[in-house]
Amino acid sequence: MSTIFKIVVLSIFSLALAQDEFFQPGSSIGGYGELHWNKANDADGNSIKNTMDFHRFIIYYGYNWTDKWSFKSEVELEHNFVADGEGELELEQAFVNYHGGNWGFQGGVILPTAGLLNQYHEPPLFLSVERPVYSKYIIPTTWFGNGIALYGNHSGFNFRLAIMEDLEGEGIFYDGHLRGGRGKGYKTTGFNLTKNFSGVYTGINGLRLGGSLTLNNAPIADENKNASTDSTIAVQLFEINAKYTAHNFYTIFEYGKSEFNYEGINLPTYIDENGETITWSDFTSSGYYFDLGYDIGGMINCNKLIPWVRISNVSKNDDDVAMQTDYIRFGLTWWPIDDVAFKTDYANVTKDGITTTEFNVGIGYKF
Amino acid sequence: MHTLIIDSELKALVQNRVRQRFYRDELYYWTISNNDTTIAYALMDNVLGKSMPITFLILVDLDGKIMSTKVIKYREAYGGEVDNKNWLAQFTDFSDKSDYKVGKNIDGISGATISVNSLTKGVQKIAVLFPLIKDKLK
Repeated sequence: MSTIFKIVVLSIFSLALAQDEFFQPGSSIGGYGELHWNKANDADGNSIKNTMDFHRFIIYYGYNWTDKWSFKSEVELEHNFVADGEGELELEQAFVNYHGGNWGFQGGVILPTAGLLNQYHEPPLFLSVERPVYSKYIIPTTWFGNGIALYGNHSGFNFRLAIMEDLEGEGIFYDGHLRGGRGKGYKTTGFNLTKNFSGVYTGINGLRLGGSLTLNNAPIADENKNASTDSTIAVQLFEINAKYTAHNFYTIFEYGKSEFNYEGINLPTYIDENGETITWSDFTSSGYYFDLGYDIGGMINCNKLIPWVRISNVSKNDDDVAMQTDYIRFGLTWWPIDDVAFKTDYANVTKDGITTTEFNVGIGYKF
Repeated sequence: MHTLIIDSELKALVQNRVRQRFYRDELYYWTISNNDTTIAYALMDNVLGKSMPITFLILVDLDGKIMSTKVIKYREAYGGEVDNKNWLAQFTDFSDKSDYKVGKNIDGISGATISVNSLTKGVQKIAVLFPLIKDKLK
């Protein structure tokens, strides 16, 4: 059969001519958003949180000059409002893309490839109301910054190399995790450049296997916000991820580990809000989550309906039990159409021997 | 190469059933013969991915059964996994009567959701259209 097909394709001389006339220059828009109702109770059952939050509103805008040269952008408004340090307005993506068939180039504000959610974070694409906690502290999603990327694919393998702005060493120190080190493209430095190598395999139907390694010597800026390479934090993030969605199963596993090592002469210090002097010490952080769901939408004729369970551990510091949290989360997610999801989930959150609970309801969409 | 103009009545009929618009009002097709006997047709159409057309070719036998599917040109940075042979092979032996449901009869591809949904409907559109236009083909 494939032989006949090859002969057909090869013998159709007009094919090459015909395919070029389909493209037309023009712009495209899209977007996504999510409304959350978050409730939490302490170990005694007292309410410690009850908030309604239109967490994210995003508009994509893109323009295609030719079928190879295009521009893509994504602007995000968080928490519905920006004023007096509340809410966030961010340019999360804005890059020129050259797509040459099985390889391409991107330059501008780009995303590194790390974890399943960093590049694909539209709410109908994950089960829980909030993004997995793993995708906040282990992979600081959405992680974006200034830089360039080269990508390519060959027989089901996708490769990508992103070279980006430095992480901010002082942010990692103050916040105690990678998330605090994101420069977000704002007055960032390029002394050592962040190197992000990744590979994804999608050659088996329903399966996606990926992994990445990200390296940077993050400069630590002084009180006057002057960064230099005299004093840096060597950051190394390694992660793997797998997603299997077929035969009504919905399964995800992600694991990641970061190492943070100081390189310089004098260990940095700062004075916290209690007046105590905090001195840097090297640490590692790691985490994972495992999702298992089964689509019963076909049985009751309502498109896609997945009851699911997630088991997760997020250790911001592998040597400090007070910085390690276990999660067991149960949820039910319904997609009346593929681009709209209604979600609810309930979780037991255990930290340092104390278990609190969370209850979330949400609506998410993309277009 | 021949050009087939899809009239508006036929267009509406197929679009309503598949729930996807035709990219253009015309299709290109080729007749495949063996010793002057037509044995199959190859039809080329486009669907819209996230923002650019995906050009694909379908080989159907005289009964309207899909013999093979191929992506001729994919133009975007993400979602190009729909070009994968194993994924496209899922449409083989499908016809206008088959159930083209992503996640059930057709496996999805993580990271290529838009392209998967769009192309699946595009293939179904050709399969649904074929029996209705077969007599008009040269």
